[in-house]
Amino acid sequence: MRALRWLLVPLIVVPVALLLLSGFGRDPREIASPLIGRPAPEWSLTTLDGETLAADDLAGRPYVVNFWASWCIPACVDEHPVLAAAHERYGDAVAVIGVLYQDAEADAEAFLRRHGDAGYRHLVDERGGLAIDYGVTGPPETFFVDAGGIVRGKVFGPMTDAIMSEHLAAILPAGSR
Amino acid sequence: MSRWFPAVALGALLGLLAIASVLALRPGTPPTAVERADALAAELRCPDCQGLAVADSPTASAQEIRRQIGELVADGATDEEVRAHFVARYGEWILLAPSAPIVWLIPFAVILAAAAGLVVWLVRRRPAGTPAAGPVTDAERRRLHDEVEALDA
Repeated sequence: MRALRWLLVPLIVVPVALLLLSGFGRDPREIASPLIGRPAPEWSLTTLDGETLAADDLAGRPYVVNFWASWCIPACVDEHPVLAAAHERYGDAVAVIGVLYQDAEADAEAFLRRHGDAGYRHLVDERGGLAIDYGVTGPPETFFVDAGGIVRGKVFGPMTDAIMSEHLAAILPAGSR
Repeated sequence: MSRWFPAVALGALLGLLAIASVLALRPGTPPTAVERADALAAELRCPDCQGLAVADSPTASAQEIRRQIGELVADGATDEEVRAHFVARYGEWILLAPSAPIVWLIPFAVILAAAAGLVVWLVRRRPAGTPAAGPVTDAERRRLHDEVEALDA
């Protein structure tokens, strides 16, 4: 009976310790997006180049929406070449769209001059409405939308080549992978 | 007249109290659109802060969420529709208070279980051989009396 009582200690301590440990390993802002499997938010915004671009203009082809900021260092600097490479590799097959997250246009342009402007378009989300529609909590965050306009993936934090290929596979039409 | 005065005064006092409590318990005027928007902003988590409500944060996201709440309320959305608007974007995470009522009961259930466990433990703790304290016998009473006398002497 006494031995059984001592058995209670690990029985209580171990699950509590595991629960706490699993919590420590996670970023509390990394939340599962309710958008996955649902139609992507609609938008019509001005790009850094001054043209108007709308989600409807991308209809029929997959696209990647990347929320970034010039002040998001080093994460946005680290992932920039990955997005640039995807744009160069897939060209028109997959549209890569940058969205400025709480950033000044001049600062964003300076960032692109310094780290290389791959030529894909960047939306100026003045009031942050598009970031709210996508449920963004802080840059960088990247969303993958398929040709049918359905959100298929969300990446929280800096993009890597491996993560990019994995998510692109989910939105690319079967022939172009 | 003076004989009835206390009774009349008491009756008047009770009557006033009854009227006052009816007035106090009467449902207030419905909240204005601004009051509703403020209350909703206090329920939502600011997305780019650490544990702050949208109502308490100066960030651009919080400002935009407050603006959207105001717009939704002005368009006639119910409180539930406004919450759903943001839950559809951020998930339940955006709500500072859990929406499932069962979650509120968990701490009380844990406290009750712990109290019950403590009671069981305290009851069982007394070893089996310990004699229960019974009524004081006459012999014990005499001995107590004698010892107190001896101390006083």
